[in-house]
Amino acid sequence: MIEVKEKIGMTFEEFTFTIERGKIREFAKAIGDDNPIYYDIEAAKKAGFRDIPIPPTFPTVIEMWAGADFDQLIQLLNLNPLKVLHGEQKYEYFGDICAGDEITGRTTVINAENKKEMNFITLQTNYKNKDGQTVLVAQSVVIEKQ
Amino acid sequence: MDLQVIQKSKITHSQLVKYAGASGDFNPIHTVYPVAKKAGLPDTIAHGMLVMGFAGEAIAKWFPRKNLRKFDVRFTNMTFPGERLSIYGKIVDEIERNGENFLVGEVMVKNEQDDMKLKGIFEVKKELELSYQ
Repeated sequence: MIEVKEKIGMTFEEFTFTIERGKIREFAKAIGDDNPIYYDIEAAKKAGFRDIPIPPTFPTVIEMWAGADFDQLIQLLNLNPLKVLHGEQKYEYFGDICAGDEITGRTTVINAENKKEMNFITLQTNYKNKDGQTVLVAQSVVIEKQ
Repeated sequence: MDLQVIQKSKITHSQLVKYAGASGDFNPIHTVYPVAKKAGLPDTIAHGMLVMGFAGEAIAKWFPRKNLRKFDVRFTNMTFPGERLSIYGKIVDEIERNGENFLVGEVMVKNEQDDMKLKGIFEVKKELELSYQ
């Protein structure tokens, strides 16, 4: 078995996703989040946005639909899908992301270690807008039980 | 300072299917009972990101969505269909960075038995007149 540490530095293919109002609505509804800023353009504008903003955890949509989805991630990282858990998730927001925006993401394995017989893999995705500004940085810790 | 508790309705299998489609996370452990069983679980489990979504909903109700800068969580327990979760929050600190003021909050998601599902922190930019509820 390859050492989990060898995964550090792995970078996945860059991906681009266009944010859509309908996808935001679908996502907010699935959570049961009735905040009007996700459904009503007037409410969004009143809250200071150019268009409908994304909910705080929407970056997972960008990652899963445009980047590596669950099956690809399992393959790329050589994990046992029945033993995988999501341990931690972090977001740092640097700018608004709204419907109509074209967002490009790139994911890198920034840490991988074995602790207490479990593998911990930390993925970081940097998201940029069309002007090349970093608008969001996401980090997730994937745990693989033995 | 404690923030208003937000109660969610009971998680259903259908909600997990909806969330899988919306988020694009099709890990079958969340939606396909035989796979969950094979993984040694009594039922399918909710996506951790759905539970974080509940916490995100609460934060954007407590504070203007535009002011959220940081949101970090740890998933502490699995959630199953049939569970009813509530989101708790409180302000624990106020910090200054690059001449701007931020409130630091703690967020927790628990079920009716008080089992912790998620624990995290968030930072929101502090506004002068538009203050929190």
